[in-house]
Amino acid sequence: MEQEVIESEMVLPTHLRFKKIQMYEKYPKGQARGRHWKHLKQIIQAENYQNYPADEPNYVNIESPPSMHPRKQICDITGYEAPYSDPRTHLRYANTEVFKLIRSLPNEYVQRYLALRNAAVVLK
Amino acid sequence: MPFISRTQRQSDYNLIPSSCPIVIDNGASYFRMGWAGESEPRIIFRNIVQRPRHKITGETVTIVGDHDPALLKYFDCTRSGPRSAFDNDVVFQFEIMEYILDFAFDRLGADQSPINHPILITECACNPVQSRSKMAELLFETYGVPSIAFGVDAAFSYKYNQKLGICDRNGLAICSGFSTSHVIPFINGEPVYEACCRTNVGGYHVTDYLKQLLSLKYPHHMARLTWEKVEDLKMEHCYITFDYASEVRLFQKGAKEAEEKTRCWQLPWTPTPVEEPPSEEEIARKAALREKHGQRLREMAEAKRSSKINELENELKGLEFLIQQLRHVNGNDIPSFLAETGYVSKQEIESAIVKVTQSLRKAKGEQDEIEEKQDLSATEKYTLIDVPDNMLTPEQIKEKKRQLFLKTTSEGRQRAKQKRFEEELERERRNKEDEERRLENPELYMEQLRVKYNDLSEKVEQRKKQKTNGNHGNEGNNVSGGVGRGERLNAAQKERMRLLTTAAFDRGKGEDTFGIKDEDWQLYKKMSKDNDDEDDGPNEDEAELARVASRLREIDPTFFPKSEASSSGTEPPRFRPLTKEDFQILIGVERFRCPEILFHPNLIGIEQAGLDEMAGVSIQRLQSRGQKLEDGITNSVLITGGSCLYPGMSERLEAGIRMMRPCGTPIRIIRASDAVLDTWRGAASFASTMHFSRQVFNKKDYYEKGEDWLRQYQLKYTF
Repeated sequence: MEQEVIESEMVLPTHLRFKKIQMYEKYPKGQARGRHWKHLKQIIQAENYQNYPADEPNYVNIESPPSMHPRKQICDITGYEAPYSDPRTHLRYANTEVFKLIRSLPNEYVQRYLALRNAAVVLK
Repeated sequence: MPFISRTQRQSDYNLIPSSCPIVIDNGASYFRMGWAGESEPRIIFRNIVQRPRHKITGETVTIVGDHDPALLKYFDCTRSGPRSAFDNDVVFQFEIMEYILDFAFDRLGADQSPINHPILITECACNPVQSRSKMAELLFETYGVPSIAFGVDAAFSYKYNQKLGICDRNGLAICSGFSTSHVIPFINGEPVYEACCRTNVGGYHVTDYLKQLLSLKYPHHMARLTWEKVEDLKMEHCYITFDYASEVRLFQKGAKEAEEKTRCWQLPWTPTPVEEPPSEEEIARKAALREKHGQRLREMAEAKRSSKINELENELKGLEFLIQQLRHVNGNDIPSFLAETGYVSKQEIESAIVKVTQSLRKAKGEQDEIEEKQDLSATEKYTLIDVPDNMLTPEQIKEKKRQLFLKTTSEGRQRAKQKRFEEELERERRNKEDEERRLENPELYMEQLRVKYNDLSEKVEQRKKQKTNGNHGNEGNNVSGGVGRGERLNAAQKERMRLLTTAAFDRGKGEDTFGIKDEDWQLYKKMSKDNDDEDDGPNEDEAELARVASRLREIDPTFFPKSEASSSGTEPPRFRPLTKEDFQILIGVERFRCPEILFHPNLIGIEQAGLDEMAGVSIQRLQSRGQKLEDGITNSVLITGGSCLYPGMSERLEAGIRMMRPCGTPIRIIRASDAVLDTWRGAASFASTMHFSRQVFNKKDYYEKGEDWLRQYQLKYTF
């Protein structure tokens, strides 16, 4: 390893004396191990919140409800207020110039703009 | 103000008594660790882990936090990017968490024995018990920690500011962090989780939104827009508007204020050296040089030609001499005489002479007159044509057929020549008439010509449009080209499809009469792909159009052909020298569009309430739980967390909350004294009190009391 890398101590040592169990003991090298952690969704599912009283606060029920305010519709490209929406690309746009632009955009870019507000076509 | 990591190894670990707790603010963006009772955390770094491969040795190493990017060149980071242990503020990957704790304890100076200090670690509000228990397990089993306490980050921040006298016992904490935003009400100095509220929007989303928008706006500079750089841009330039609609209208109108508000990031750029136009002398010198080259080439060609002529003449002379010699030779001796020369007979020599003379003539540039001669001798050449077949021998009949063929072809040639000549005459006549008319009344003539040109060009356009129907007029489709799904076919294509489908599905129905009539076989021609290209109609029009256009070009200086005009309009200039402006990244609307998602998460497709509405929801929940709502709760609204640092935040929140509360409610929005570090400071001061040691639990408690107890575990913040 290079001298400057060693000097900066950026690489975590594999053996640390203050630990009771070392990393290499816990996760031995060369042993195939499946995913040993759960996604947040799985964690929440395993919590079984439905078995507890509804007025007890938990991770799920403290989430904010959907907004009651009128939805703000802004132009996907410029951020201006967007009175129109293009039926072909489903992008919102503010005026004719932006419309011209979105009609000339390649499909990849259209999808990336849509993905910004979670409206892109997702192929599974 | 970019955050600065602090990762120097501390040397006084062994001097600290083991009763002194270690305080950890485990935030989704930054990890902070220090000793209870101190005012500043000792260790700060970004809460990420990278596991790149060392390029030379090939071993996988672990790098925690962010380091000098210059040193990362020794590692191959393409396989794995920076990873976080968090998903929406909940720790879910404890392997990564372990690396982070390893690094932190190591830098705090721990060596030798297990960590022999109580730990206070922060978590999000209502952390799932699975995450909590795994964290406790990790600390007990791996690090040998004697006791642990969990606390909520926003609560520590609120309590710290309450201690400083900035906020009251009753109030709201609005904490906008890295990946989530919380609103937690406080009654009598205690957080009321029943009424708190979380939206999964935070600083991460703002930076990501800005990064995506900028890289879509400047696709050429995508590589420059790294996460760290965009984060810096966000912290430096983003702000929150009081009213998004009116602010954005300023930009839409292109007002002067908007121009002032637009920030420009100039990327490093060195102008390409401008080539100076060559001077007169240079041009003259170059022309002379070119002339010289031309002269030399011409001379070379001339020399080659003359040498060829010379050669041919010599050959001709030789051959003629040979013929003359042959005259003196006996008929029987001819073959032996010719053996040396390579020729076999006299005829062959003669034909060679003819060939040589012809090429000689060609080389000298004389007209080929043979054809004419042939024409003259045509009548006597076709001697056999008029003789009836029955008077001829088979060889003569063959000869006759040949002659007949030759005659018809030469006649055809003649006729074509004649026609061409006539056309030439006709054209000249027409041109003359045109010219006369033009001279009579130039303006009327020009007008007529223009009208004609327009008509014709429209016609031709129409023709073209019909051929490629549906693709015209919408640019979106021109890019993809071809006839896509849902596009209209033109008439010919429709007809073809109809024929194909009937051909495919009509078999076996009723009597098969196909082929009885000869026209049936035309079907295949109609089906074939290229039949619609064969009509000659447009060609005539096109020729006429070209003629009119060329005529117009001659006499009308203002004339500009349509097709050229349209093509030059849409096609960008191909080669344009790159200028300074091409290396600028302008941030105008984005400056307030990106933080706006904190108030309107639906802009990035998250259908949850924004910060101001969350405050309202929280107060509402407080009322519905039967809590006696003190009016003063909005009198002390603390904003904390990294995403609350935007300018304009408090004004906007005040306006938003005012809309939801009854008229006359006192509203006071307070910024935390230090929105980023207050959580750690609050926790550190809390851990230094006696109150803390009564609320920790140890390994024995953890295993005896079980999960249900851990679920109920809650820190009391007041003492």
